[in-house]
Amino acid sequence: MLEVNDISVLYGGFRALRGVSLRALPASILGLVGPNGSGKSTLLSVISGVQQPATGRLQLDGQDIPMGRAERMARHGIRRAFQVPRLARRLTVLQNVQIGAPDQPGENIINLFLRPRSVRSRERVITAAAFEALSRVDLAHKASDQAGDLSGGQQKLLSLAILLMAHPRVLLLDEPAAGVNPVLIERQIQLLRELRDDGCIIVLVEHNMEMIANICDRVIVLDAGEVIAEGTPVSIRGDLRVMRSYLGDTALEEK
Amino acid sequence: MIDFVIFSVTMIAIWSVLGISLHLQFGLTGLVNFGQVLPFAVGAYGAATATAHGLPDWTGIAIGAVMAPLIGILVILPAGRLTQDYWALVTLGAAEIFRLTMLNVPNIAGGVEGMSVYRFASNRVGMAFALALLIVAILFALRLGRSPFGRMLRVIREDEMLAATLGRDPVEFQRSVTVVSWCIAALAGTLYAHVVGYISPNSFTVVETFIVWMAVVLGGPATISGVVLGTVIVQLTSVSTRFIAEWSHLGFELVSNLRLGAFGLVLILVFLFRPGGLIPERSERVDAGSQ
Repeated sequence: MLEVNDISVLYGGFRALRGVSLRALPASILGLVGPNGSGKSTLLSVISGVQQPATGRLQLDGQDIPMGRAERMARHGIRRAFQVPRLARRLTVLQNVQIGAPDQPGENIINLFLRPRSVRSRERVITAAAFEALSRVDLAHKASDQAGDLSGGQQKLLSLAILLMAHPRVLLLDEPAAGVNPVLIERQIQLLRELRDDGCIIVLVEHNMEMIANICDRVIVLDAGEVIAEGTPVSIRGDLRVMRSYLGDTALEEK
Repeated sequence: MIDFVIFSVTMIAIWSVLGISLHLQFGLTGLVNFGQVLPFAVGAYGAATATAHGLPDWTGIAIGAVMAPLIGILVILPAGRLTQDYWALVTLGAAEIFRLTMLNVPNIAGGVEGMSVYRFASNRVGMAFALALLIVAILFALRLGRSPFGRMLRVIREDEMLAATLGRDPVEFQRSVTVVSWCIAALAGTLYAHVVGYISPNSFTVVETFIVWMAVVLGGPATISGVVLGTVIVQLTSVSTRFIAEWSHLGFELVSNLRLGAFGLVLILVFLFRPGGLIPERSERVDAGSQ
């Protein structure tokens, strides 16, 4: 279980998060919604170690993890995809996925020269896994393209494929559906369900309410850095005040 | 004439090795190092120290190859978490501190007088050593560049935050590559000292760093063939200054300054029209069927 307690973040004098707490169970998808600037991405940044909070603590399966270092969170299996995908744009699509794999003996210079065999054999395993991850997001045919040449939607899928390589315990996704065509959104939803069924904790920031309603087990509504509502997608959806105040009238009309 | 050719080839080989050390740091990892002449100088002073104390030549190599990475770590420790711009300033400053110390503290290494170094028996021997070192450096850099280590260096070059969110500590990689790169640069420096036979602080000014940068940026920082090609062009232009001066009757001083001006112009043109250099990095093709 992922447990985050009393997170506060200050940007100068501005309080981006005020004592936010959340709990997410294994094999569940938690939706984070709220208007722009409500602190959703900041919360993901805190959980992924990119942002050091002023207060708060984070526990994963009862173990306290010190916050503020992205590489430490990643090593504990907390992995994140960004709203604007972060990719090595001048590397190939395949290479981008390969780097998602942890435990690479070939990343140590000494191993390269003293244990070339184990480097090669691990590399073969990684490459095979990378092709598998790419086929799960329908990008295997793009393996040798430069990552920067992919369309925006494909880049989102690629960053998802990178995360797949690490078999994360916690997956933090920031608007994975934005700019992705409807067919591929279906593919993503399918993929997220598969990951959830494998026991992964998924925290999903998304403006696509259909996607939220479709796959989230619970939803947290943030506004101005505070949790203002929490519940199942149905109960949140029924809470007209929440919808009207924080997502705007247009979002309601689409329903 | 043959001596001139041998000298040119030797210099091209030595400066190519220095270029390759910059290729690892800048071309692959994106570290803007404006003090690459520092490990080169440390290697050269290592050789000089060995000669001065009558020690065998390999001790000179060892002094340089051990001291340069150590100094590299000292430099990178404070610079480690700094942004790229500060890295450039810190390395530039470190190289100047070393040079000015050597210049102003004569007890260490002869001050402005410099030191003489044991020279190779013939210039052919020097050339052979230089070419051998170049080949080893090329093979080593290729091995590194094509490995998972090199892949992660490129990721760090593109986006340090991405590397961190994948569980890697970018500073750790930057430190490793600096140690290796400075070790290579020190070997080039040792060889340089043995070829030239004399070193002084004036051999290791900022200008030397920028001549390496010129070659690397012109040829292509991310490819070894680019680095070597860039070095060939820059070094041939340098060594032929004397001939151009004689032929054009313009005077050595003027031609030599014009050369620097021309380098600057070429750099601007490369940045504008060919940012990847003459031989840019090409992404690897993969065959989906070969998995």
